[in-house]
Amino acid sequence: MSSLAAPAAVATAVLGVLVVVLLVAVAAVHTTRARRLAAAQGSRAGLMALVHDLLDDGDDEAVVAAPRDLDEVLLHLLPQLRGADREAIQTALTRRGVVARAAADLDARAAWRRGRAATLLGSTAGRDHLARLTALLADRSLEVRCAAARALGRVGDPAAVHGLLASLTTARPLPAGVVGMAVLDLGTAVLPALRATLVTGSPAARALSADVVGVHGDLAATSALVDLLTDARQPEDVRRAAATALARIGDPAATDPLARVLLDAALPPLQRAAAEALGRIGDPAGAPALLAGLTCPAREVAAACDDALVALGPEGAAVLADAAGRGGPLGTAAAATLDATSQPGRLVGV
Amino acid sequence: MPHVLVVDDDPVVADLVAFRLQRLGLQVTVETDGETGLAAARRLRPDLVVLDWLMPRMDGLEACRALRADPDPTLARTPVLMLTAKSQEPDLERGFAAGATDFVTKPFSTRELVSRVTAALHAVPA
Repeated sequence: MSSLAAPAAVATAVLGVLVVVLLVAVAAVHTTRARRLAAAQGSRAGLMALVHDLLDDGDDEAVVAAPRDLDEVLLHLLPQLRGADREAIQTALTRRGVVARAAADLDARAAWRRGRAATLLGSTAGRDHLARLTALLADRSLEVRCAAARALGRVGDPAAVHGLLASLTTARPLPAGVVGMAVLDLGTAVLPALRATLVTGSPAARALSADVVGVHGDLAATSALVDLLTDARQPEDVRRAAATALARIGDPAATDPLARVLLDAALPPLQRAAAEALGRIGDPAGAPALLAGLTCPAREVAAACDDALVALGPEGAAVLADAAGRGGPLGTAAAATLDATSQPGRLVGV
Repeated sequence: MPHVLVVDDDPVVADLVAFRLQRLGLQVTVETDGETGLAAARRLRPDLVVLDWLMPRMDGLEACRALRADPDPTLARTPVLMLTAKSQEPDLERGFAAGATDFVTKPFSTRELVSRVTAALHAVPA
């Protein structure tokens, strides 16, 4: 019995020591973390007082002379603020040399430094570096190219639109979504350039320009969009983008061309886009084409026509009722749509 | 001295807002998530809450609803100013439906925020 008691006592003692060591280590970690947090909080409080003065009085020498930690606070706040606050921070970053250092970093070997520099120059909205940011759209790193595109959008100089559209078709093309967001950020000042691109641009640039003029609801682009929609030589995605843009613009002048595409195109995704556009424009003149589309063999087209007729409201319902009364395959399809509209959860004319 | 509770999970933004409001002579308390913010509101009975929407643990919308549903009628009527990046119409509708008194959308102007806080505090019945 006593021969077993000694090893057990030793094991218990070792275990006890381990528990104590563990508790001490946990306490040390907590203390260190608490001290670090307190130090960061104290340091931030001092820096925040400087930021506060900066926003109240504009730039001053104390801000320029403050330690480098202030840059992180200013860069953190920059995207959160607008108006005079943002301008004050941009000026301070410029005076503190942050913008100049970022401009130098545009040529850095490390991609992350080039990308960070582009992002910073975009946030500070300085137009001095437009050419270099545009050149970065051809960077070997996709992340850097995307950062440059976003930065150009944030800078907001309409002159950037040409470089952005060109970046869609270079040897290292940018994703259309990234370019589209950047072009949208440039605002309505770029609409004339986008309208011109609808006529003269590459297919990718035409499709993206169609998307953006549509989002802006640019009525002046209707004619160029109708030309793209009805030109059978255009790639299908360009014609589809034109149909979607016409839907967003909502000009009834597009009703007839959309109806013709719906009936004649024989490209179901395009026909579907045309049907959706007719429903969104809401012109009753589109009803006969939509009615005919109900018997389209492509299910997606027939379903889009069905939805669009419902979207036309009472006028659509009247056309459906008339067709249902005349029987035949079209009458059967129209009756089915009318039946469905009377079901709960589907509203006519809303 | 009116007491404002600022709830934002971004400590730099929260500190900036707190600094700006303290300059007005307001007493300010900062919390960094909806759950602790709600607990602080119940404990401190602030005159106004500046509430971020997107936060860990409990988001601002949920915290706002909980505040409005509080059995204490004074606390339930506390003005809530949402300070958020959510700025679409449906977001505003959801925020107001949850009981928000006003919105300031990020990126924001500290001058606008101060004006809205002042207006909301003046609108509180004595």
